[in-house]
Amino acid sequence: MTINDGLLVMTKTVLEVDNLSVEFPARRGLVKAVRNVSFQLYEGEALALIGESGSGKTTLGLSLVRLLPKTARIREGRILYRKDGEEQDVLLLSREGLRAFRWRECAMVFQGAQNAFNPVLRIEDQFIDTARAHGIRDKDKVRAEARELLRRVHLDPDRVLKSFPHELSGGMRQRVLIALGLLLKPQIVILDEPTTALDILTQRSVIEVLRSVRDEFKFSLIFISHDLSLAAELADRVATVYAGKIVEIGNVFDIFEKPRHPYTQGLTQTVPTVTGELRELISIPGSPPDLIEPPKGCAFNPRCPYASERCRQEQPPLEEVGDGQFAACWNWREITERKPL
Amino acid sequence: MTQTTARTSGPSVLMRLRAIATSFLARRILKALATIFIVVSLTFGLVRLMPGNPIETYTFELMSQYNMSYQEARDQAAALMDVNLDAPLYQQYFEYLGKLLKGDLGNSYRSKGTSVVSYIKQFLPWTVFSVGTSLLISFTLGVTLGMLMAYRRESWLDHILSTIASLASAIPNYLIAIMLIVVFGVQLKWFNVTKMRGSLSPGMTPGFTWEFFADAFYHAALPITVYVLTTVGTWMLSMKSSTVQTLEEDYVTVARARGLSDGRIMTSYVGRNASLPLFTQLAISIGFVVGGSILIEQMFVYQGIGQQLFKAINARDYAVMQGIFLVITISVVVANLIADLLYGVLDPRIRSGKE
Ligand SMILES: Nc1ncnc2c1ncn2[C@@H]1O[C@H](COP(=O)(O)OP(=O)(O)OP(=O)(O)O)[C@@H](O)[C@H]1O
Ligand SMILES: [Mg+2]
Repeated sequence: MTINDGLLVMTKTVLEVDNLSVEFPARRGLVKAVRNVSFQLYEGEALALIGESGSGKTTLGLSLVRLLPKTARIREGRILYRKDGEEQDVLLLSREGLRAFRWRECAMVFQGAQNAFNPVLRIEDQFIDTARAHGIRDKDKVRAEARELLRRVHLDPDRVLKSFPHELSGGMRQRVLIALGLLLKPQIVILDEPTTALDILTQRSVIEVLRSVRDEFKFSLIFISHDLSLAAELADRVATVYAGKIVEIGNVFDIFEKPRHPYTQGLTQTVPTVTGELRELISIPGSPPDLIEPPKGCAFNPRCPYASERCRQEQPPLEEVGDGQFAACWNWREITERKPL
Repeated sequence: MTQTTARTSGPSVLMRLRAIATSFLARRILKALATIFIVVSLTFGLVRLMPGNPIETYTFELMSQYNMSYQEARDQAAALMDVNLDAPLYQQYFEYLGKLLKGDLGNSYRSKGTSVVSYIKQFLPWTVFSVGTSLLISFTLGVTLGMLMAYRRESWLDHILSTIASLASAIPNYLIAIMLIVVFGVQLKWFNVTKMRGSLSPGMTPGFTWEFFADAFYHAALPITVYVLTTVGTWMLSMKSSTVQTLEEDYVTVARARGLSDGRIMTSYVGRNASLPLFTQLAISIGFVVGGSILIEQMFVYQGIGQQLFKAINARDYAVMQGIFLVITISVVVANLIADLLYGVLDPRIRSGKE
């Protein structure tokens, strides 16, 4: 089920984030890492969260499975998870309820998953561990399932299952983690920069793998990255995140073809270079904002070529700018064509 | 024909030798043997560098005890000991080494006819028992409390335990022993220090009986308490810092994300990884079993090998001293060897690195 044709009415929402704010206390004040974020994740879709480093993508992702660092505080908001017509607020789950929710309903593959595996346990045992935590005790069944999944991510199950994590390369570990993420057939998978630490070829193979398993297993995917071109390959919809806020969200074609937020526009105009990192530097002048005291008005205004007086005073709301496309910009009507920043 | 066989057998022998030399285990064992040899030789020299010698020490003892004249006492002492201390040192050294290779540690100078081996057989088990038990208690307790401290980091419990741990590991063990005797034994009379002396009550026969074990523990209780009190703090603090580090590891967060239970994460993910470095420390402390017991056994009159070493030093009983130092050396070296091998077994990353 794709929604590229804009048939949003047909689709069900599996996750609804409503006005979520997350803060970290720091010496100078509160780091407002996520500010009043709301979005919906539809059944079977891939949503990409794109933004510069430090914009709060990981924090947002972690709060969905409530794995924020101890110091973090969720100031407000709701995270509604829907399944079989029932709705739960993830933030209100009990300890046991949360444990059951994690991985079985929503698996999160972390940024820099290089150390995601317990170094003293074989991969096989970590698959079995995971299944057992969710009440599946039939080891042979788990093993068979693990084999199948490892094959799907182009790994040799015989070798990988018997290996210790350090015996696998970074790219292999990443794919093992993806396979492990699919073990319980979760409804939602969150991938935080699953390809950043990998070389170009391995990146490609991970992307291919993701594409094919997604076709097969039909889970909803939240894909976090700073690289818009990767998002373009995987995502049905894209949300751009700036200073802890979603500043634009829409389907992938609209975001690329007619971005309505100058920040999105900046991201889409990036010059393709070999490394993803460099691209960002070239694209948008100025530096990411201070999250302790974000600029007054629109947080992007100091870097924005369209900024007007209003932008410096009032925060723009996310408003509908097209079919299923929303942008938080006072001047979105002016941003019709590509204009160099 | 002969040439070719010579050529083919040549490299294969060389290769086998090289394989032995590069084999991890063989290298470690060779190193251990070399260490033992060096320490044995040093011990031989050092004990003889101490002021006085066995005959002289005994002579003065006899003189003061029985009011003998110097000559009389000296003759008696020399007759008793039946050792030729005037032989050239190298001759004594090679004689000692030769016997050592045959497993003969010689006889005690002081108790004529008692072999050093039988000495060690008689007294070492008590030390191994008391120090070993305390090591086990201390390690288990320290690891548990250390993990608790790490999990409750910055809580009042953590602060209290940290303070106690640093204090306990800073106070020398003999001070704690004195405190135990003076405060709890003599002043408060919580236990009878005199009755607890020795390693067994008089008349108790060793055997697999409940009475025997109870009695053994009763007599070892004070030394064990002191050993535990003085070592548990170090284990606690090591385990705490190791656990705090492990808790920060990605795989612990991922384990949470996988929905594993807190218990499973604590044991197989945090505990197992955090205690890895401590197992090396544990093996090394096992090596110091004998060395750590000298003063404490003396103070509690516990009949272990430490107390015997103390006596042997006072009597300049070279043979016994050498024998006990040999035991200490071997246990330290072997414990280190075990530590290395154990770490390889416990940590797969090292295991495959060595293969
Ligand atoms: N544990 C923490 N304590 C304090 N501040 C934090 C903590 N974690 C993140 N932050 C702050 O929150 C903000 C958002 O961080 P986050 O990791 O979510 O960004 P990100 O978009 O994922 O960046 P990247 O692309 O580099 O991964 C940053 O300003 C960061 O400094
Ligand atoms: Mg991140």
